[in-house]
Amino acid sequence: MTAKPLASILAIVALVAGCGGNDAGSANRIVVFNAGSLAIPIRVALDSFAAREHVTIAQENAGSLETARKLTELGHVPDVIALADYEVFPHYLMPDQVEWYMDFARNRMVLAYTRQSRFADEITSDNWWKVVQRPGVQVGRSDPNLDPNGYRTLLTMQLAEKHYGVPALSDSLLAHAPDNNVRPKEADLVGLVQAGEMDYIWSYESLASAAGLKMVRLPAAIDLSSPADSAAYASVQVRVRGRTPGDSVTFRGQPIIYALSIPKRAPHMALAERFVAYLMSDEGKRLMRATGLDVLDAPIVVGSGVPDAVAAAASPTARADSGAQ
Amino acid sequence: MTYAAAAAVLPRSRSSHRVASVVAALLASLFLLFLFAPIVRLVVSGGAGGVTRLFTDSELRGALWLTAVTATSATLLGVLGGTPLAYLLARRAFRGRAVVAALIDLPLLIPHPVAGIALLLVLGRESAVGSALLQAGIRVAGSPVGIVCAMLFVSAPLYVSAAREAFARVDPRYEAVGRTLGDPAWRVFRRVTLPLSLRGLIAAGVVMWARAVSEFGAIVILTYNPKVVSVLSYDRFTGFGLHEALPVAAALTILALIPLTLLRALRPESGAGVAP
Repeated sequence: MTAKPLASILAIVALVAGCGGNDAGSANRIVVFNAGSLAIPIRVALDSFAAREHVTIAQENAGSLETARKLTELGHVPDVIALADYEVFPHYLMPDQVEWYMDFARNRMVLAYTRQSRFADEITSDNWWKVVQRPGVQVGRSDPNLDPNGYRTLLTMQLAEKHYGVPALSDSLLAHAPDNNVRPKEADLVGLVQAGEMDYIWSYESLASAAGLKMVRLPAAIDLSSPADSAAYASVQVRVRGRTPGDSVTFRGQPIIYALSIPKRAPHMALAERFVAYLMSDEGKRLMRATGLDVLDAPIVVGSGVPDAVAAAASPTARADSGAQ
Repeated sequence: MTYAAAAAVLPRSRSSHRVASVVAALLASLFLLFLFAPIVRLVVSGGAGGVTRLFTDSELRGALWLTAVTATSATLLGVLGGTPLAYLLARRAFRGRAVVAALIDLPLLIPHPVAGIALLLVLGRESAVGSALLQAGIRVAGSPVGIVCAMLFVSAPLYVSAAREAFARVDPRYEAVGRTLGDPAWRVFRRVTLPLSLRGLIAAGVVMWARAVSEFGAIVILTYNPKVVSVLSYDRFTGFGLHEALPVAAALTILALIPLTLLRALRPESGAGVAP
């Protein structure tokens, strides 16, 4: 009788001991952390890659900053990390976690909605800023302190004020997307617009398209999509919370560029290199584009120590002026 | 028959008893260690910072206050609606009782973000209930009402099952005596059933309240701003990192200890049910 509880204790202890440091548990597994807005494009490419390599996949979707925190604060290191804002790499992850990053896709700000949204039949690329200010229209946005989409929304509002030449338009647009319509990240808003709780949400083209939402395309001068408009984007800025309470950082407008990297301590380095090379292959690009992601024809690598397999897939060039300053 | 009595009638050697006690003690210690080590570690790491921030951080104070108000409201609503239901489930044999009893546990089973979405579909402004509430000036999403709804949904089942057990433990013969003395059902409940089950009901309420305080997943779907403490700690973790999230979590842990201890102390610990 007494042998049984003893055996279960031993089993529990063994189990607990076995839980430690299982990050590298299976050699046949690829772990990817990515921004919420990359969930679907990365997933599609991962599924295809996993089938051909006979590996299993572990994908974690979270906000770009939250994802960076998983590495820096929690010590969870994936094989590949892909973020919605390339600036997170130099600001938070270099040089401790990664030595290089690769710009691989771009995106644009849109207003996403459904057929049920109020005034869905009337809204256009020209009148959107009037429609979202009508009484009873609920507009959602993500948290500017946590999510790049959140502060990009504020930048877009400012650019709209300049573009349309309407004084105080930015403040008024913000007042029509009040704090209680804010959620942590833009992916959290999709369910709310689908459930009809919001009529319009500030989002990315890739996300709206992958989720099957309708969208208002905004003029290139305000949607942060066009590298050619970098200088105009950089004329607006927004101040959000910094790295410590009371601290603040200023973000200037710049084109939305997605970047990825392989952490220095990636548990399955060789597999990670093959996956990134696959992402940048014609097939990988085609799969991601089919989900609505605007993949760059020529990815741009920044930093040093890029693995050969990745360098061969991309052709490293010096970074063009990002327009950030 | 108590465990001790059962053990006494079983023919067993002294040494096997001793081994059993040692094993039981070892298991219990391991288990307690598992439960308390993370909490102790949390309070040690963030406790001092947490207490300091209670005075300096108005956002934290606001979140603690909001958490206390919403969790208490949710618990009161749970007690109001859950007590009659628990009584019916414990005392009345009605058609479909087993089904209702099983359904009650369902909210515990549903992943919490899914619970938030389900609530949104029923209480959102496009729903019948939600639009009626909106007419009355109450929007569920993005307001404290949404927080209370999320807390109520995920924690009320705990209250109902514990309250049902508390009622079931009351000997029906006492209630029968009350009725034979001519008391109406309500008076029997108030004078006999309620006092005898009160300890269990309070314990059920405490568990529900604690579960409501800890809720995150369903709340963040419905209401991100204004922030309760669970949401604030997530926000601090994402925005600033571990060193800013720890004090928030520690402050909640320390403060939550006060009502938990008080309510447990309120219960008359008669020692009933403990083998000598």
